[in-house]
Amino acid sequence: MADRIFAAVLLAVTIGYAVIAFTVIRAPFQYDPLGPESWPRILSIVAILCLLYILWKPDAIGFDMTRQVWFRLGAAVVLLLAYSDLYEPLGFILSTILFATIMALMLGAPRLRAVGFGIAAGVFGWLLCVTLMDLNLPEGALYEAVDDSFQQTEEEGAS
Amino acid sequence: MDAVLSGLATGFSVALDPFNLMLVLVGCFVGTLIGALPGLGPINGVAILLPIAYGLGFQPEAALILLAGIYYGAEYGGRISSILLNVPGDAGAVMTTLDGNPLARAGQAGRALSLSAVASFVGGTFAVILMSLFAPALAGFAVTFGPADYVALMVFAFASLASLVGKSTVKTLLGATIGLMLATIGIDANTGVPRYTFGIPDILAGIDFLIVVVGLFGMAELLTLVEQQARGTLKSLPVDRSFVTMADLAKSKWTIARSSVIGFFIGILPGTGASVASAVAYGTEKRISDTEGTFGKGDVRGLAAPEAANNAAAGGSMVPMLTLGIPGSGTTAILLGALLMFNIQPGPTMFTQRPEVAWGLVASMYIGNVALLVINLPLVGLFARMLTIPQHYLTPLIAVLAFIGIYTIVGNPHDLFMITMLGVFGWFLRKLDFSLAPIILGFVLGGLFEDNLRRALSISGGDWSILVSNWKSILLYVLALFVVVLPIWLARRARGNAMQDAESH
Repeated sequence: MADRIFAAVLLAVTIGYAVIAFTVIRAPFQYDPLGPESWPRILSIVAILCLLYILWKPDAIGFDMTRQVWFRLGAAVVLLLAYSDLYEPLGFILSTILFATIMALMLGAPRLRAVGFGIAAGVFGWLLCVTLMDLNLPEGALYEAVDDSFQQTEEEGAS
Repeated sequence: MDAVLSGLATGFSVALDPFNLMLVLVGCFVGTLIGALPGLGPINGVAILLPIAYGLGFQPEAALILLAGIYYGAEYGGRISSILLNVPGDAGAVMTTLDGNPLARAGQAGRALSLSAVASFVGGTFAVILMSLFAPALAGFAVTFGPADYVALMVFAFASLASLVGKSTVKTLLGATIGLMLATIGIDANTGVPRYTFGIPDILAGIDFLIVVVGLFGMAELLTLVEQQARGTLKSLPVDRSFVTMADLAKSKWTIARSSVIGFFIGILPGTGASVASAVAYGTEKRISDTEGTFGKGDVRGLAAPEAANNAAAGGSMVPMLTLGIPGSGTTAILLGALLMFNIQPGPTMFTQRPEVAWGLVASMYIGNVALLVINLPLVGLFARMLTIPQHYLTPLIAVLAFIGIYTIVGNPHDLFMITMLGVFGWFLRKLDFSLAPIILGFVLGGLFEDNLRRALSISGGDWSILVSNWKSILLYVLALFVVVLPIWLARRARGNAMQDAESH
């Protein structure tokens, strides 16, 4: 059943892909026998044939997962999305401390250790990547604001 | 032969450069760590660390040496979790659990680990030697390939992929097609027409390779780990002081030799990497040597066969990548993408145009194999301790690493959303028995496939018969048909034999 639902969703997407390939994509002028639309057309036909086969003869796969596992997975995805959202505003260190702590707690780590792990991941990650390997990571709006005002006062003091 | 020797000389001068030598060692060490972690295999390790390696701003040959070290290091390390935990790191290490874990349970973990390290070393070294002999010759031949031959080669690659990888042929084919379709997004290089960009400027140049790789392999793996988390914990067996004996080696020497050959040649087949190689080697060895029915109960030969084969396959799968530009496995597809990011087009001309990259990589594999044997024998206890790192710390770390990598390269928070969503998509695909390697192969090869098809038809003025006008392409189509039909025929015959057996009893 899961197979059929997934194939049906993919089929809808592929049909959209095919419609665009057959109607929208067109080169204003071209000398080659195959234009930009031919290859997507071929691919969409192959994909639709494969999907029809899966719809016709799906594998018997059930998502044998308890509600608890679904919840855990959903929570993990939400956490990841929140992490992506806060990555720049909070900066690498703070967002990583939060994410790693909450994720470890959710996956069953003891409370204090999870916090320790989170702080270690954030601080050592920053030291390792930025200080040692010179990679580019977000400092965070908070740090930047503090940094800016600090520089401003410094400039004022100089003038 | 002279070309090989002078090439190797160039290669060793690159690989023995102190900085590159350090990268080989670091790559092997990190790779073994990653391979040893349960659930993480070579492909995830390379996928998660690729953006970081790229972001460090190394020379192309240095970055490639590091990534290749991680690749075969992880191939080595996979056996540790297979033997001690009975949990294979990836599909290539599944066969190692069959005889490795019983040995460890019988209190011979040290013997199993050291024997498998030796088997891995022999398999890996054998593959590198064959590679340095064959690759230049194959590259020399591949220079004569025209666009039509390349189209045939791609068809052959996808045919062997569909027939040998994954549980369902149709799903593997669909996976490859999804990859090819993803590759069509962006501006068409020939005409400048945007395709499937929907006016979003971020994807005009196509979906970033790194995002697809980290999303499908890194993040999907993370979600799988989260899913399995709730299903009980893992218990590691202790590493004892037992060690491989000369008698073990004498008993398994022909096994190792046979499996290395099998592994290398299966590795060369496009798309089929360590998992198929180790399964075939184990099956063959069981048929040849299992006279007393000891396989599966802790037979040293049953342990040596898949380990020699999967390391030989890792070397073998580099051959088509370096000589033809067609990756031999999912992991080499990622390495190929890495080369493209450095503006190096892998293919027949790479050995002549960028000898320092091609030969440097080959030479680093010689060094890496020796280094892996040396660090694996005494340090196996340290790696085994990695197994006891609780999953609840490991899983968040994967996300942190993936985020660091993507943000460093692309520097755009939207891409962090993209990898998360691709991870969800990849998790669904895995749950439904799709293997992810075909998708990445399709994605990497998409541009090449389309370009060659269009070029071939431009040459012939739109006449499709150019695709079969040459003996090379016809041979490749015949081979493609062969790899599709042969497994089906073998399965039929096996079933027929079983039926006959049932009737005669």
